[in-house]
Amino acid sequence: MTAAEQPDDEALLAMIKSMFEAADPMPVGLVDRIRFSVALADLEDELARLTAGQTDPADRSEPGGHAREMALARGATEESRTITFDSSSLTIMIRIDTNADGTARVDGWLAPPRSCQVEMTLTDGSLTVDADEEGRFAFQSVPRGTARLVVRRAERGSVDGSQEAVGARAVVTPALVLLLLRT
Amino acid sequence: MDERLKSGSTPAPAVAPAASAADVDVHKLVAQLTPMLWQVARAAGLGMQDAEDVLQTVWVSLLSHLDSIRSPGAITAWLVTATRREAWRVAAAGRKTRPADHDWLLTIPDPRAGSEEQAVQAEEQRELWAALSTLTPRCQELLRIVAFVPRPDYDLVAARLGMTRGSVGPTRSRCLEKLRVALRDKEDSQ
Repeated sequence: MTAAEQPDDEALLAMIKSMFEAADPMPVGLVDRIRFSVALADLEDELARLTAGQTDPADRSEPGGHAREMALARGATEESRTITFDSSSLTIMIRIDTNADGTARVDGWLAPPRSCQVEMTLTDGSLTVDADEEGRFAFQSVPRGTARLVVRRAERGSVDGSQEAVGARAVVTPALVLLLLRT
Repeated sequence: MDERLKSGSTPAPAVAPAASAADVDVHKLVAQLTPMLWQVARAAGLGMQDAEDVLQTVWVSLLSHLDSIRSPGAITAWLVTATRREAWRVAAAGRKTRPADHDWLLTIPDPRAGSEEQAVQAEEQRELWAALSTLTPRCQELLRIVAFVPRPDYDLVAARLGMTRGSVGPTRSRCLEKLRVALRDKEDSQ
């Protein structure tokens, strides 16, 4: 700049901006790469994947299909099944037991623990329970049929930059078919 | 010559008014605000790859915060704050193993190269860089961030960075005044 000029605040800031734009521009393709991550994250959090349960490990690549098989709550009352779902922000583990009246009892744990609402959507209607501070929840009596778990984070009032709050959107599991075969 | 100045004279929000923050088009925002966030991350001393990783993290985590951010303008402030916090965290973790990264300094164009106009501009930028580097690190960081913040969002961002008028720490005007003095000194000494 020439000696006599005393640039005002806005002019000075404009110069600073130009300088850094020239010296240290964001990399080409960064916007596209971030958009890709954002789109991917949207998908990941939408659907939790079945990652563990009493199934052949080789079958895990098809979470939806095998969730069904896994969720069979067999007739023998003492038999129960444990299933684990993973999403990027949350792990949901459930155990399915059969009640004497033919309905299912579903106990679940959320990791990391969060106290929030857990909804089970059924073919007709839905059931909602609260998970406690340790992330435990229980549906005492679930009718047979197709079920799907939806975990929502409790409303957060504050706006902050903390990274731990990732995962405020709902996490949805693949559909389970609760077949309750009474002996 | 400068987009920021134009937008300053006819204030247009970086984030178009929406019914709620959750209605914003994130992909559009990524294009609008990533250049600014890049500077925020780099001002914390991050290398290219770390800066990119931080921005990926911040944008993805914005998705889960959109519901709780009340106004579209607050998104800019949230992004700046989150980027700065994450960048400082990563920088602190990396400082033990990596030296500070100032590779971008090498890319300030050589004044002798290119057209005369480019040469003048490059010379100006070198002087400005030299003056800027005499300020405190905190002032350097603040000015670098503020220069990229869209004017309509400035007040919210400034508030989140603790640099509003009357605050105790370095403020935009105090840092700019020091920069002006440094530029004057350089000219005097020539």
